[in-house]
Amino acid sequence: MKNTTETIHYDDRIVRYFLMATLLWGGIAFSAGLLVALQLAYWKFNFNLEWLTFGRLRPLHTNAAIFAFAGNAIFAGIYHSTQRLLKTRMASDALSKIHFWGWQLIIIGAAITLPLGYSQSKEYAELEWPLDLAITAIWVVFAVNFFWTIARRRERHLYVALWFYIATIITVAVLHIVNSIEIPVAAFNSYPVWGGIQDALVQWWYGHNAVAFFLTTPFLGLMYYYLPKAANRPIFSYRLSIIHFWALVFIYIWAGPHHLLYTALPDWAQTLGMVFSIMLWAPSWGGMINGLLTLRGAWHLLRTEPVIKFMVAALTFYGMATFEGPLLSIKSVSALGHYTDWIIAHVHGGALGWNGFLTFAMVYYLVPRLWKTPLYSKKLADAHFWVGLLGILLYYTSMVAAGFTQGAMWMAMDKGQLVYPDFVETVVRIVPLYAVRAVGGMLFITGFLIMIYNLYKTIKGAPAPQDEAVVVPARVEQHHAGEGHRRLEGMATVFSILTFLAILVGSAIEIYPTLSIHRYVKPTTKVDPYTPLELAGRDIYIREGCYTCHSQMIRKLDFDVVRYGKPSTAAESMYDRPFQWGSRRIGPDLARVGGKYPDLWHLRHMVDPRSVTPKSIMPTYGWLTQKNTDFLGLRRRVSVLKSLGVPYSDEQVSEADRLAEQQAKTIADGLVTQGAPAGLEKKEMVALIAYLQALGKKGGSDE
Amino acid sequence: MSDQEFDPMTDHEYDGIRELDNRLPEWWLALFGITIIFGFIYWLHYEFGGGHTQVQELNLAMGVIQSVKGSGPSFSEDQLNALFTAETVGKGHEIFTAKCAACHAAEGGGLIGPNLTDKFWLHGKGTSADIFEVIAKGVPEKGMPPWAEQMTEEELVATAAFVHSLKDRNVPGGKPPQGEEAP
Ligand code: HEC
Ligand code: HEC
Repeated sequence: MKNTTETIHYDDRIVRYFLMATLLWGGIAFSAGLLVALQLAYWKFNFNLEWLTFGRLRPLHTNAAIFAFAGNAIFAGIYHSTQRLLKTRMASDALSKIHFWGWQLIIIGAAITLPLGYSQSKEYAELEWPLDLAITAIWVVFAVNFFWTIARRRERHLYVALWFYIATIITVAVLHIVNSIEIPVAAFNSYPVWGGIQDALVQWWYGHNAVAFFLTTPFLGLMYYYLPKAANRPIFSYRLSIIHFWALVFIYIWAGPHHLLYTALPDWAQTLGMVFSIMLWAPSWGGMINGLLTLRGAWHLLRTEPVIKFMVAALTFYGMATFEGPLLSIKSVSALGHYTDWIIAHVHGGALGWNGFLTFAMVYYLVPRLWKTPLYSKKLADAHFWVGLLGILLYYTSMVAAGFTQGAMWMAMDKGQLVYPDFVETVVRIVPLYAVRAVGGMLFITGFLIMIYNLYKTIKGAPAPQDEAVVVPARVEQHHAGEGHRRLEGMATVFSILTFLAILVGSAIEIYPTLSIHRYVKPTTKVDPYTPLELAGRDIYIREGCYTCHSQMIRKLDFDVVRYGKPSTAAESMYDRPFQWGSRRIGPDLARVGGKYPDLWHLRHMVDPRSVTPKSIMPTYGWLTQKNTDFLGLRRRVSVLKSLGVPYSDEQVSEADRLAEQQAKTIADGLVTQGAPAGLEKKEMVALIAYLQALGKKGGSDE
Repeated sequence: MSDQEFDPMTDHEYDGIRELDNRLPEWWLALFGITIIFGFIYWLHYEFGGGHTQVQELNLAMGVIQSVKGSGPSFSEDQLNALFTAETVGKGHEIFTAKCAACHAAEGGGLIGPNLTDKFWLHGKGTSADIFEVIAKGVPEKGMPPWAEQMTEEELVATAAFVHSLKDRNVPGGKPPQGEEAP
């Protein structure tokens, strides 16, 4: 066989594009984060504009941070490292470009639709169906390009970084598609086919594994490439790579229910979620120690190389977050931590420390190489590191303190009575910590801006960038070399199928049983569906993102029950599409708020929460008294729900708008007799009040 | 790290990255093993070993709460009248401003809830015991919250003392009377 070589060019242009997008969206994601942080410290930071209220902006922040900032960073790193690990240019420049521009368009679509209130209210999956379709299409483009490149490789075996990329691409596709099965009811509105506990389970299977397969596995892949490159040291242990990779991929997928401990989710699913989360501890740490021990003999670089500094800090935060995760999954710890800011602290240790710092390390590694120019200033990079680190620590400690404080206040009971029965007391106590958190965020952003300046100076003086040329073997015989796992590393297709099977097991075992809801709801239990007007109100509740501050799930815990009433049951939310259990209680639980207050109270509270609860931090919603309810659209909405099995009568479908108008009139008339102004019957406020008064009043609480 | 650590170099090389094949750290393996064993036992216990379900746990906890709580406060008219002093009225005023004014207005003239400064009552006849009772138990279906869960006994008494002191003050701008007149 003739051993010829050839010269090829890597596509570095696409890497530079993704890198620039990372920085741009990073700036936007962080700023949006700072703004929502400020709004909790002082509610007026929403400038009384509906588009900037907390409920609409928080999804923008989380989506921008995950899919725009981290997403583009992942793509930059994957496109850069994959070509080099496979010794081939990306298979198709056209697909790379479609991927890039398609992804940016989706982000722009998100940045427009989320502030307008087009949202599915499923965390990190808020984007509505047209964008869901676009994400699917672009992800397929990415996958085709990636696997095609693997097929054309000039390297026999796949390096561990690529295993993680494969797991990412396959699993994210599965998660996104399953969680987004929905039926459109309007141009930018849809109802998921999943309802109640199904939707809760599918959503947190997705939500948790978005963290696992969007924020963990791809970043581990990046770590496995950039750390040994930057430190010029061999990877510590190949066998550790194998074990922790498969353990992580197999175990992670089961852990979703730890977001739903003590809820109406069946006990068995909660138990599985908890035990698999605990088993995740070691596999997660496997990645950290393989990284840190790779630096043996290179620790001196920690002093001189900003790239290494950022990486070591990132791995340490990864270790912290993956210790804290299993801890929070223990039922009794979750009882304290769930719904509090401890969870917010936890994700930011991961997002700012692990994803943020690893991305910064990669950027500091890539820019000098892609632009063939040394970094403008290592001192500034150092400054970025310390300012950023201080910011994260301030953020983390203030939010842990807030979480412990509020959690403990919720739990506190004396002689069978709550010590802090007034919810707002527990909010007022932590507002100063919200201010400290905002300062932490500002420091993190300051560091980021220092980096931007540093990169700007670096790139400004650089020659016009060019694609890197390398000499590679003309072709590599793809026979299956090696034994055992080594052999598998040469078989990309088999490897990918096995990865798929590994994530399928946990998914199927947990999701399948809940598909037949009747297992969990007695056939004699009667739950009334929302009336058309209440449904309209519910859609407003979703649009305004009330779920970002309010849960609708009273846990099976004594202090929850004493505060809010009977624990929520699976029956009560079985027609809820999407479910509204929530994940954070910045305000009180609303599962049984129906009938707690008169209609006029809600009207006054929504128009100005501080007129009834002087220290409230809830936004004002005055525009709901001006906007008209969309009565006509209700027929389609009710009929879609009926087709999904919600027991509406034919009359409720065909007369949905008339029935809603009737009910609205009754409520508005009642409000007038209590002293409210006339003329509210067509307004969204009345629909929302109808919904709030229906919460907990539809039956099914006696399961 | 133990002395037995060894660093066999694999023949792997990717874009200049080489791989060692160190043994798995023992503490790491132990950690993995222990979490798996713990998880398995925990699962067996709660799935098959008769571990309490969450509903059972909750019922036990609620039982404890019931037992420490007693039967709830109850006072006779005379007891209450003895407790209604200038001091309790003052304390009740503060509580009223914080918790009741949203619905009954700061002066008690009524807003969402009825005017408390007239001689008309929806519930009872405005005796000390009637007022205490309605504050403690509320009228949840009409939007008057039950306060016994949210206040201590002293606070309830103080609030009732203040409301009692409002009777027949007829503040200006109050809501029109509701209910029946009581002398
Ligand atoms: C920034 C967080 C935030 C958002 C967003 C928010 N709330 Fe609130 N909400 C609170 C806080 C804090 C309280 C407790 C203080 C008070 O009564 O205002 C509260 C209280 C409430 C209460 C009274 C509950 C009770 O039992 O006393 C209702 C009802 C309510 N909110 C409804 C809504 C609705 C409907 C929306 C969406 C249109 C919404 N909230 C959005 C924070 C929020
Ligand atoms: C959420 C609104 C709300 C709050 C807060 C509230 N109330 Fe009421 N209250 C009402 C309503 C509504 C009624 C009338 C119930 C009915 O129609 O039967 C009422 C009735 C009453 C009555 C009986 C009046 C009568 O005519 O019989 C008393 C006494 C009273 N409230 C005292 C209080 C006190 C004391 C507090 C504070 C600890 C308080 N309320 C807080 C709404 C409220």
